[in-house]
Amino acid sequence: MAIELAGLTKRYRRGRGWLTAVDDVTLRVPPGQVLGLLGPNGAGKTTTIKMTCSLILPTAGSIRLNGYDAVRQRSDAVRQLGAVLEGSRNVYWQLTAWQNLMYFGRLKGLRGHQIRPRAGRLLSDLGLWERRNETVGSFSRGMQQKVAIAAALITDPPVILLDEPTLGLDVEAARTVRHWITHLAAEEGKTIVLTTHQLALARDLADRIAVIDSGQIIADLPTADLLARFAEDRFELRVPGPPDGLAAGLPAGARAAADGPSSRITLPDARQDSLRECLEKLWARNIPVLSVSRAQPDLEEIFLRLIHSGDAAATARTAAAPVVPS
Amino acid sequence: MTAIRVPAGARLGGAWRILADEAGKGLQLMWQRRAMLVVAAAAQGFTYLMIEFLIGGGRLDHAVLALTLPAYFAFSLAGTAAMQGSGGIAEEVNAGTLEQSHLSPARPTLLMAGRLAALATEGLLPAAVVTAAFWAGYGVRYQVRPDVLLPLLLTIIDALAYALLMAALTLRVASIGAVVHVFNMAIMFFAGMFVPVTIFPHGVEIFARLIPTTLGVLTINSALAGRPLSAAWADGTLPWLLAHVAVLSALAWATYLHTLRRARREGGLSPR
Repeated sequence: MAIELAGLTKRYRRGRGWLTAVDDVTLRVPPGQVLGLLGPNGAGKTTTIKMTCSLILPTAGSIRLNGYDAVRQRSDAVRQLGAVLEGSRNVYWQLTAWQNLMYFGRLKGLRGHQIRPRAGRLLSDLGLWERRNETVGSFSRGMQQKVAIAAALITDPPVILLDEPTLGLDVEAARTVRHWITHLAAEEGKTIVLTTHQLALARDLADRIAVIDSGQIIADLPTADLLARFAEDRFELRVPGPPDGLAAGLPAGARAAADGPSSRITLPDARQDSLRECLEKLWARNIPVLSVSRAQPDLEEIFLRLIHSGDAAATARTAAAPVVPS
Repeated sequence: MTAIRVPAGARLGGAWRILADEAGKGLQLMWQRRAMLVVAAAAQGFTYLMIEFLIGGGRLDHAVLALTLPAYFAFSLAGTAAMQGSGGIAEEVNAGTLEQSHLSPARPTLLMAGRLAALATEGLLPAAVVTAAFWAGYGVRYQVRPDVLLPLLLTIIDALAYALLMAALTLRVASIGAVVHVFNMAIMFFAGMFVPVTIFPHGVEIFARLIPTTLGVLTINSALAGRPLSAAWADGTLPWLLAHVAVLSALAWATYLHTLRRARREGGLSPR
């Protein structure tokens, strides 16, 4: 396993009591997998990431990175990873992009001749080569985040932890970061743990999604399985154009809503005769059908259902014992 | 995907490289704020001269200058290193770069040693330049002999131990800026920068000897007056200086390790 968290627990003293930030979290991430770690604010995502980085000591449980214990073999464990941490500059804004990469490369024990070619390639690939000798503080937020990603990758670590990597980025910068995460996972085979509030990002990039709430993992499934589990027992049809006047000629209970340039028609059930009736009515009005599928809520809806289920323990399942939709 | 392994033999060399890397980063950051450093050094030097001018009743007394200039050097080094050390740590905690630097396989003590090397340069450079300028500019007479090297080295270590203690406390104390300011003022007044410690009332002199760099300045002054180190040993100044350096260094490193462990337990390496 690239990452093994077993019974990971973190409690902070608050006044006379204790606050449990992470409660008995167990996760195993195989090499090459992208795990999306989702959860509301204060759920324990960042604490879990920082414990995995050895930046916060766990109260109980163990962390292994490529087999190295993050507490007892910290030196070997941290060599396995690069991290971009949330709400943080991550790199020195007073230094140039090049100086940052040289510093972070040497900090991990590399020599200058090992760092230079990789730093050059990373900066070129991220479109920063021409500005490598400018201080990071003079860069846009997106460029600064690219330097942070380059610094995390300078040692070519097998494990990458990305805590809100697109936070505060504009659309174009977020797209570049997203493209890079895809590249790292698909072409370089990195093991990635990604926390984000942008659920579309997690849906598109993550092979597997774990949802954490109040410090506990309440769902942990391959992304496709998670979406399938919540697939609803009814049909959805997509037709071109706006939904104006569409619902009037549809079977009872069917709803029509705008969905970009097209419209989405949702049937009340998954009976074949309802579908046939709907299709016949659309064809009778010369409305072409673009697609027919089983209705599936988006990840945001699933996420909200999970965290508002009221009984987290009831929904807590592992990949071996899948989540049951509420 | 394979795990990254480092052969045991490469680790020692790697440790030195990491230390040099951390020191190099500190110097690069210092270069970025060089204008501020020059202004601060000029302001310190000007303040020193003005107070000596007032103490001398409208003139600079060269005899007093000779006794207080080593204290100015010590204060400038200790004050700058402490201020920049704690300020640098506080800024890195807020910026999140302290966490990133602790993602290194190196021991935290090694990282701090590198940081101290940069702080030593940042403190020594203005202290040495301004002290040398006053020494040459006002024709202060010293008997410069090899005997001065040992107390000078011990004073530098004492000053850096103080800076380390302040940097260590930064991980624990929220209002560290005020704390450093108070301690710097104590060094300014009690380490003999304005008037020699030897003219303090006895009780105050005893208290002053506990302040970082005071014993070092006394021993340097003794050596610069032409007395051998054996004289400083015989009157107890040198042994007490050695003890002060050892205790303050041990206290500073122990405090650093304690506050770092506590910060890792409580998530204090990032903004609180």
